[in-house]
Amino acid sequence: MLQRFLLLIDRFSMTVGHAFAWCILILTLGTSYEVFVRYVLRDPTSWAFDLSYILYGALFIMSGAYTLSRDAHVRGDVIFRLLPPRVQATIELVLYFIFFYPGVTALIIAGYGYAHDSFLYKEVSVNSPVGMPIWQLKMLIPLAGIMLFIQGIAQVIRCILTIRTGRWPRQLHDVEELENVLIHEHEQQAGKEATT
Amino acid sequence: MTNPQLALVMLGAFIFIILLGFPIAFTLMAMGVAFGFYAYYIPDQSFFDNRVFYLLSQNTFSIMNNDVLTAVPLFLFMGYMIERSNILDRLFYSLQVSLRAIPGSMAVAALITCALFATATGIVGAVVTLMGLLAFPAMLKAGYDEKLSSGVICAGGTLGILIPPSIMLIVYGATSSVSVVKLYAAAMIPGFLLAGLYIVYVIVRVTINPKLAPKLPKDESNLPWHKVVLLLVQAFFPLAVLILSVLGAILFGLATPSEAAAVGALGAMILAIAYRAFTWQRLKEAVFLTARTSAMVCWLFVGSWTFSSIFSYLGGEGEIKNFVLSMQLTPITFLLLSQLIIFLLGWPLEWSEIIIIFVPIFLPLLPHYGVDPMFFGILVALNLQTSFLTPPMAMSAYYLKGIAPPHVQLWTIFKGCFPFLAMVFLSMLLVYVFPQLVYWLPNLFYGNN
Repeated sequence: MLQRFLLLIDRFSMTVGHAFAWCILILTLGTSYEVFVRYVLRDPTSWAFDLSYILYGALFIMSGAYTLSRDAHVRGDVIFRLLPPRVQATIELVLYFIFFYPGVTALIIAGYGYAHDSFLYKEVSVNSPVGMPIWQLKMLIPLAGIMLFIQGIAQVIRCILTIRTGRWPRQLHDVEELENVLIHEHEQQAGKEATT
Repeated sequence: MTNPQLALVMLGAFIFIILLGFPIAFTLMAMGVAFGFYAYYIPDQSFFDNRVFYLLSQNTFSIMNNDVLTAVPLFLFMGYMIERSNILDRLFYSLQVSLRAIPGSMAVAALITCALFATATGIVGAVVTLMGLLAFPAMLKAGYDEKLSSGVICAGGTLGILIPPSIMLIVYGATSSVSVVKLYAAAMIPGFLLAGLYIVYVIVRVTINPKLAPKLPKDESNLPWHKVVLLLVQAFFPLAVLILSVLGAILFGLATPSEAAAVGALGAMILAIAYRAFTWQRLKEAVFLTARTSAMVCWLFVGSWTFSSIFSYLGGEGEIKNFVLSMQLTPITFLLLSQLIIFLLGWPLEWSEIIIIFVPIFLPLLPHYGVDPMFFGILVALNLQTSFLTPPMAMSAYYLKGIAPPHVQLWTIFKGCFPFLAMVFLSMLLVYVFPQLVYWLPNLFYGNN
């Protein structure tokens, strides 16, 4: 039951992260198009520059929670990785309340005020005469904060489960870095050979 | 406690907390907000009017519309696409047969493959594991020395973060406000110098002691020359052309780094299609991994900019400056000391943390010692090669250990990396003694300023 709730949160962060991840494809094609029309047709677009940072900004800020759910935010874990899971979970649980929640809450509150101001005068980009609206991009700051907050709840519950059971519970899986896939496959193969 | 002292407490506490292993981006953000709240505290002001909240959103947004960092996800995407284009085995094979005449041909071919592939992808882990599965067993089977073979793969794979177009230099450009284009021009020669030193080292070692790399049996490696050329045309040239056109567009000022990266990413997709490796599944993998790695790097920036703006508001930067200046260092001792600190930080930490969090501490000191931030950046980039190769957090060695046959000990891999570490230090020394290695290309392209 609890496990399903945790995976539901994972799935929510993942779905949003995946949706925004596709920005990279639009960014690649859009920017390539701009290069093409500028050099081949000598007719640069007026929107490509604004588009590029809007897509990039939306891409990384909205993938924050997804990255957290897959434990891919960088850690200085030279000591941490050697500790038994119970100790890891205890440290992490405490630090979630000291660091994660205050910081993320501040981001939600501050980002909301910031985006609200921008929304009130329908802020547009100053980089081009087209006046690409950018208040939506600022809106994403508090939204990203809320996503992190929700994913944080799942991570905190996982810490508590780990303290009780002594094992890290399952997380949702989608794609892995190639090196991890290869190392995992290699280990399994070695395991198979050892048993036969 | 005075404000500057508080800033030093903030830095000290942070270094302690980093070692507890919590995701660093959030630690930085929270500490920035907490100390900032105290620093900007005005009695009678309502809680949410504190200036720190505005600063946090302002910093976050300035990362989101940073036109330098836009290139990061694009280069990552290009890398993840190339990683999935089935090109590596062809590349290694084609180089191996075309280099068979020189001593230690397999090791040299592995080095060049690593360097080229790592340059194109910029992702160290993938190169080391892929080559570890492909070239490493082949070298061991041919009777190559275990230490030499593992050193070649670890050191060669790590070159990807140095040789342009590398993401590390973009990140350094974003922290130091040195132009990425100039950094790329400056890193070209030192990057190839280091790759060249690796190759020379291997050839010399093998010539002195041929037992390290026995010659391949004749029949196994003999192909008529036109077949060799065909292999090269199929595997080596497309990738080389892709990299060179991306770099050329940047260096000749035809496109900004992000534009060149976008075209490079498109080229990588076309390459994958041409090698019949383009599937929906692989595209999805590349897209999702790009999002995750970009989020990792850019959220670190969000935290770090918040942290460092509070740190310098409290006067921490000035305090460190006064302290270092009071040590009466000469420029050379300052350079040595700063590089030593960065080398030591590379033991427990990775390059992203070092460049985004710790290098900015040194940057304001550079003008006092007459050190050019561009030159400093190249030294740092060379230096950080070591962070993948030195225990206890030698990522390259761990990746190789992860896929190597069980009889290859981790310690053997470390020992194999040591001579290559020496080559890194030699390259840094050469760059220091002959600064023209750094300046020649940028001056040639962009004039003497």
